[in-house]
Amino acid sequence: MTPAGDVVLDLGDIRVTDTARVGPKIARLGQLASAGWPVPDGYAVTVHALGGWLPRQARSEIEQLASVLNETDFDPVALSHASERVRALIESQPLPSWLEDAVLSAHERLRTRTGRGPRLRVAVRSSAVGEDSAKASFAGQYSTFLGITDAADVLRHIRKCWASGYSAWAVQYRRRAGLPPHAHDLAVGVMELVNARSAGVVFTLDPVTGDRGRMVVEANWGFGESVVSGQVTPDYWAVDRASSQVAERRVGGKHMWTVFDPATATVTLVPLPADLARQPCLDDDEVRYLCRKAAEIEDAEGVPQDVEWAIARNAPFPDSVFILQHRPETTWPAAPAPGAQPSFDPVQFALRNVFKVPRA
Amino acid sequence: MAVQEEPKVIPVDDFVRDELYPGYTQAFGTQPFVAGPVRPFSKADNASYWLRDSLHFSEGMVPASIALLDDAQTWGAQLGAEIVGVPPTRGSVNRLAGTHVYIGTIDVDTDWQIQARAARFGQYVGPILADFDRYWAMRAGELQSAYHHFDNLDLAAMDSGQLWTAVKDGYAFHRRAWFIHFEVMYVLTANYLAFYQLAEEIGLEGSLVSAFLSGRQTFYSTTDEELWKLAGRARELEVTGPLLHTDPAAVRGQLEALPHGRTWLNEFDGFLRTYGWRTEETCRIDTPSWIEDPSPALYAIASFLAKPAGFDFHAARQDAVAERDAQIEAARRAVNGSDLRRFNEALASNQAANFAWWNEEHNYLIDRRAAIPVRRASLELGARLVDEGKLTAPDDIFFLFKPELFAVMEGDGPGWPALTSMIPDRRAYFEDWRRRGPELPTMLGTIPDAVPDPIMIEVFGLSGHFLETLKGGGAAQELRGFPAAKGVAEGVARVITSVAELHKVQPGEILVCGGTTTEWTPVFGIIKACVCDTGGSLTHAAIVSREYGIPCVVGTAAATKTIKTGDRVRVDGRQGTVQVFGSQAP
Repeated sequence: MTPAGDVVLDLGDIRVTDTARVGPKIARLGQLASAGWPVPDGYAVTVHALGGWLPRQARSEIEQLASVLNETDFDPVALSHASERVRALIESQPLPSWLEDAVLSAHERLRTRTGRGPRLRVAVRSSAVGEDSAKASFAGQYSTFLGITDAADVLRHIRKCWASGYSAWAVQYRRRAGLPPHAHDLAVGVMELVNARSAGVVFTLDPVTGDRGRMVVEANWGFGESVVSGQVTPDYWAVDRASSQVAERRVGGKHMWTVFDPATATVTLVPLPADLARQPCLDDDEVRYLCRKAAEIEDAEGVPQDVEWAIARNAPFPDSVFILQHRPETTWPAAPAPGAQPSFDPVQFALRNVFKVPRA
Repeated sequence: MAVQEEPKVIPVDDFVRDELYPGYTQAFGTQPFVAGPVRPFSKADNASYWLRDSLHFSEGMVPASIALLDDAQTWGAQLGAEIVGVPPTRGSVNRLAGTHVYIGTIDVDTDWQIQARAARFGQYVGPILADFDRYWAMRAGELQSAYHHFDNLDLAAMDSGQLWTAVKDGYAFHRRAWFIHFEVMYVLTANYLAFYQLAEEIGLEGSLVSAFLSGRQTFYSTTDEELWKLAGRARELEVTGPLLHTDPAAVRGQLEALPHGRTWLNEFDGFLRTYGWRTEETCRIDTPSWIEDPSPALYAIASFLAKPAGFDFHAARQDAVAERDAQIEAARRAVNGSDLRRFNEALASNQAANFAWWNEEHNYLIDRRAAIPVRRASLELGARLVDEGKLTAPDDIFFLFKPELFAVMEGDGPGWPALTSMIPDRRAYFEDWRRRGPELPTMLGTIPDAVPDPIMIEVFGLSGHFLETLKGGGAAQELRGFPAAKGVAEGVARVITSVAELHKVQPGEILVCGGTTTEWTPVFGIIKACVCDTGGSLTHAAIVSREYGIPCVVGTAAATKTIKTGDRVRVDGRQGTVQVFGSQAP
């Protein structure tokens, strides 16, 4: 039985209104692409696909998983065993042909659009619908796989992404959030892998102090995973928003980097050569350009953002800059932009609307 | 045809007394006063409402505690309200039914006074909210340096003059600490209530606001984390047996008999040196600190040990933070345009000056600690008076009123024999009233249609529904209250009226109580749901239930009167309802 909704969408057809189908991460990327921003091309396997397909045996295992959780003092060991069984089932079963066909034809279209044919390397990323509302906790909880070329491997890693929706952590999270045990909220994005020279994050406010007069860039050589996963101390720049001047710069302790290893055909974290480690991985022009682009995204979204980006090898700047994803910065959501007149005065509001003091 | 309803009065008459305790008629312990001191009930009190404050003082007050109550909910609240300029209220005032505390408010009812207070409030509160961290650091620093002084006093080595000075200094500090308490509280509640009201006006549920502000680490959440670690150490060192099964009084001896018991006890004592300067109740000079009696800490450790081994304190905490962020994000998506901007600014203001956080954090600096210097010095003085043959037991000193003690120590008043002769009667009086505590009405006097002070409404949950329930006599198959933490749970009720009974709660039961305080926190790890008579979105039970992910309904007015231990109940924390099925399952 095929599901009612679309199971695979090309990035060019995705808008922010598709959040419920593909998750906010991919929906925003589609929105950026439609506005002409440089983002890696790709496609998404929607939440309908997972809802429409699950091995029968996996369904009953999931029911069992749910029943373990419903006990007042559930046994964490039983939970992790139940979770293992569900994941093993999902990873081992082939996709149904309607879904496999849809993915393979989307993959073929992507190979054609990018002009890379069978040499195309992709990232396969989980994308949960509730994701960045709970960023702190979701980060790193669902799987992402980088550097995949073979189409059969793509299919296999899509299953692995889905399986990560049934980790002990994920099922407990859904239970606490009052959601059903099925990971019907998980989509998967398949994106061209940007062959990154340097990559990292821009915060449109200082994430430590919440100061909106400063933007912060953190980056390392190679793919951004070493930065996002916190495995290195990245290079750091603070940029004054008003003047666009670099106000502070620090070369980080970048002893590792994430690179594509042709020998194993995988993306891995390996030691960074000492001469590269000592060099900042961006120049000031690149830092200022990244801040300007992030500020434009913030303007469009209305709230501070963190923006993941990569600068591709073998392309002239600034065409080499790609936006990989962005999301609201929830830790410091509400500091007013510098110079803005606050529109809410808690004291006057309390006097008039809480204590009901009439104006004299 | 409109029917004029008779106002509902629950008469105070049974509690009217001239004496505050046997042999003590001087109700005006402290003069001058801001608006009115602690007194026994008089007939005139039937004209206004009086709420039983079991939230803060569940077991009754010994004579010496009454001066401390005077400093706190009476003097401190009134002075704080005056200085901050809270428009509708001059703060709270207390009455005693026997030894039990009732709270009322002093409303401001002339237009000029309200306007004058509003102007003062505007000038006073704005700058503090704008720079709250610095301001609180200043106040907290003042309190910390006082504790540094008092905790390091070598009382046993003092001569009698120095010791008496230490008692007087302790009392002076206690009063100052409580002024700080209410000054900060009034400033922060304004910020919080503004956000709450704004949320309602832009179409969000105000009850979500305290959830938006949850998750920030407090001294108490750190204490809980340390207790959790001590539970883990007990497993590693294989000393869980005595901790789970032994009466706290005997646990030390049993632990020392085990190979690694001494190691664990050393770590536990180290914990107490940092976290043990706290008592179980507010203003109660007769309650020991954890350093004197660590039973509550041992109970908390046993509760952690009763959890499955995989329970991860940090993961639970991270989940709570993730859920908070998810709720903030969902709220943001529900509003837009200028509403979103106002929402963001109100949130920022409340994150910077966060009442939900301070409401927990301040307890360790004020409510649970401020009386310890007076207690320690008084007990040392009591011991010396026993040696001098003036008292029978050191804690006899707690059965003297502060003015009596000050008079006799400074060579005034009726002298020692007259005072000591009253102590047995006063002890009996205290015990008698302690037993009667659970029977006392939740409210006395005239039950109002509405309470004009939004702070009272919020802190004690005095909603219209709460007042209606009291007027209706409180018996119902379904209770309604404030939906404090979402989720639905059904199970067997355990009614608890004092923190001393907390060990009776069994895993998986539904806790039904007047209200909870910080000392109740460990029990939230084992209960299925929580129901309270009083409380609003900011009460302790609401905050802790959200962090432990269990349903909670507060401000039901009549839960402890309606529900009996063993009843089957169904708690719906989203609807704010509690169904009572009696002792038979449905």
